[in-house]
Amino acid sequence: MTAVKTTTDAVPAGVPTPPARRRAATGGAPRRRAGALDRALPHLLLAPAVIGILWLIGFPVLSVLFTSFRKLDLGELVRGEIVWTGLDNYAEVLGDSEFWTITLRTVVFTAVVVGVSVLAGLLIALLMKQLHPVVRIVLQIAMLLAWAMPQLAATTVYQWMFDQQFGILNKTLVKIGFESFAGYSWFTTGTSTLSVIGLLIVWQAIPFLAFSLYAGVIGVPKDLYEAAGIDGASPVQTFRAVTWPELKPLLLMVTFLSMLWDFKVFTQVWVFKQGGPDGGSTTLPVLQYLKGISQSHFGVAAAVSVLMVLILGALTFQYVRRLIRSQEGVL
Amino acid sequence: MTAKKVAANAAAVLVALFFAFPTYWMVTTALKPRADLLSSDFDLIPSTVVFTNFSTAWSKPGFLSSLTNSLLVSLSAVAAALVVGLLAAVALARMRFRGRKGFLLMMLVAQMAPFEALLIPMFLMMRDLDLLDRLPSLILIYFAVTLPFCAWTLRGFVNGIPAELEEAAMVDGCGRWGAFRRVTLPLLGPGLVATSVFAFITAWNEFLFALVLIRDQNKQTLPVWLSGFQSAFGTDWGGTMAASALFTVPVLVFFLIVQRKMVAGGTAGAVKG
Repeated sequence: MTAVKTTTDAVPAGVPTPPARRRAATGGAPRRRAGALDRALPHLLLAPAVIGILWLIGFPVLSVLFTSFRKLDLGELVRGEIVWTGLDNYAEVLGDSEFWTITLRTVVFTAVVVGVSVLAGLLIALLMKQLHPVVRIVLQIAMLLAWAMPQLAATTVYQWMFDQQFGILNKTLVKIGFESFAGYSWFTTGTSTLSVIGLLIVWQAIPFLAFSLYAGVIGVPKDLYEAAGIDGASPVQTFRAVTWPELKPLLLMVTFLSMLWDFKVFTQVWVFKQGGPDGGSTTLPVLQYLKGISQSHFGVAAAVSVLMVLILGALTFQYVRRLIRSQEGVL
Repeated sequence: MTAKKVAANAAAVLVALFFAFPTYWMVTTALKPRADLLSSDFDLIPSTVVFTNFSTAWSKPGFLSSLTNSLLVSLSAVAAALVVGLLAAVALARMRFRGRKGFLLMMLVAQMAPFEALLIPMFLMMRDLDLLDRLPSLILIYFAVTLPFCAWTLRGFVNGIPAELEEAAMVDGCGRWGAFRRVTLPLLGPGLVATSVFAFITAWNEFLFALVLIRDQNKQTLPVWLSGFQSAFGTDWGGTMAASALFTVPVLVFFLIVQRKMVAGGTAGAVKG
């Protein structure tokens, strides 16, 4: 922290201009007001951002907490009533065994998607280092295409590829001899539906992970590899002793970000089957939508939102602590 | 050794196919005549190429209006977040003041927090503001989603420009604003472009709030419109893929712009030395 601070301290943009010069340039602001303006300047610059964040994030955060302790259905909403119910909403949500099924499903789904995408991203990053430059560029362009495709476009393309009658996947499977896949539906159970959705998410998540980790891989100092080579280390030993320790902080970081992103996925799950069939692919964000928007139980839905954040917080607690500690230096 | 290299390159080509195939399939489907799509033939390469699907998608009710809405909402939100974020970034990167650390922490946390969990209060708030079914609700929300990211990222870019350059300009007679406009802002160009592209993509993709806050079909954004394709298209997969391709184009264009600007940024950086 001190290193960063002293360098910035050495060049405080707040102080050094001689007032006379500035007056010449800006067309003559009185000297005493310039001093006050200088002191207020950082706060003036920050004011719009702070107002925006407090109004559009801070206020809703408080609001979701308060709402979760209120009975707020369509009737109360229309009449503008405020009915406090204490912990009733939480009792209702936590007492429902369906909630625990959905929570477990969401956690497992997140774990699998994060695990597969981070592992695949790491493998591709390591692979990229071994490639002929032309092949590497081809691979990078292919990944860029997957990365750039809007989620909704990607979702519709996957729906089409997995289409029961005319989807290319079933056609291919039949072509190579699996006749039973003619007219096979991939969306008859929650697990199979979530598997397809998981594949879609992994496919779109890997490019970011692979590019980030590749940047880390090529950032490992070359002399470390040379030293390992001189010592006669095998590729596996080199990976464990050189690449892994250098890559670990970055790997933790992207794992953490992936957890944040994949836990709250709504778009793809909703568009595929609206949480179906029969609620089998409903995850926590879908539950929040169903309770709040479809059924207008805003208080209950707010309780789901709060619980969702708490669960995500519990899953990522270690990372958040580590991250904030590591950012102390930057702050 | 060479056998190993060949194997690695071959594996990479397979991986590339895995990533590129959906895009290929989207484009070729969009180019196939309708009759070819609803057949059980195995047709990896289109036998006939037509452009009717694109005109079908383009003229479907709602496509043009939702495209306009998406562009309007995303561009306004990103422009606002960029300006406000840049002001905050300059303060956070260049100035010392009380509470600076607190602001930074606030930006960091606001950027990571799952915004989706604010669905209910946002819905209630927009209802109170009488903004339901009106595009400003989405502009406000996308502004709030992208602002912490913009401020945080731009702060990094401002930090990367030596403050000495601004000081030199001020010694030469520039005011602080003049120094910022003539020295820092041009050097910040690539950073501004990169930041705005990622913010734009976030807004362009957003689905949940667009679904919840906008029910009026004329006010829908493109993701919501596309998600209702079953009703809009029936089983017209050619039209759907054409619409998806048109939806993808702006993002691809922006990605290309970033790359070009990044190169330009590299050469602009040479002036510093």
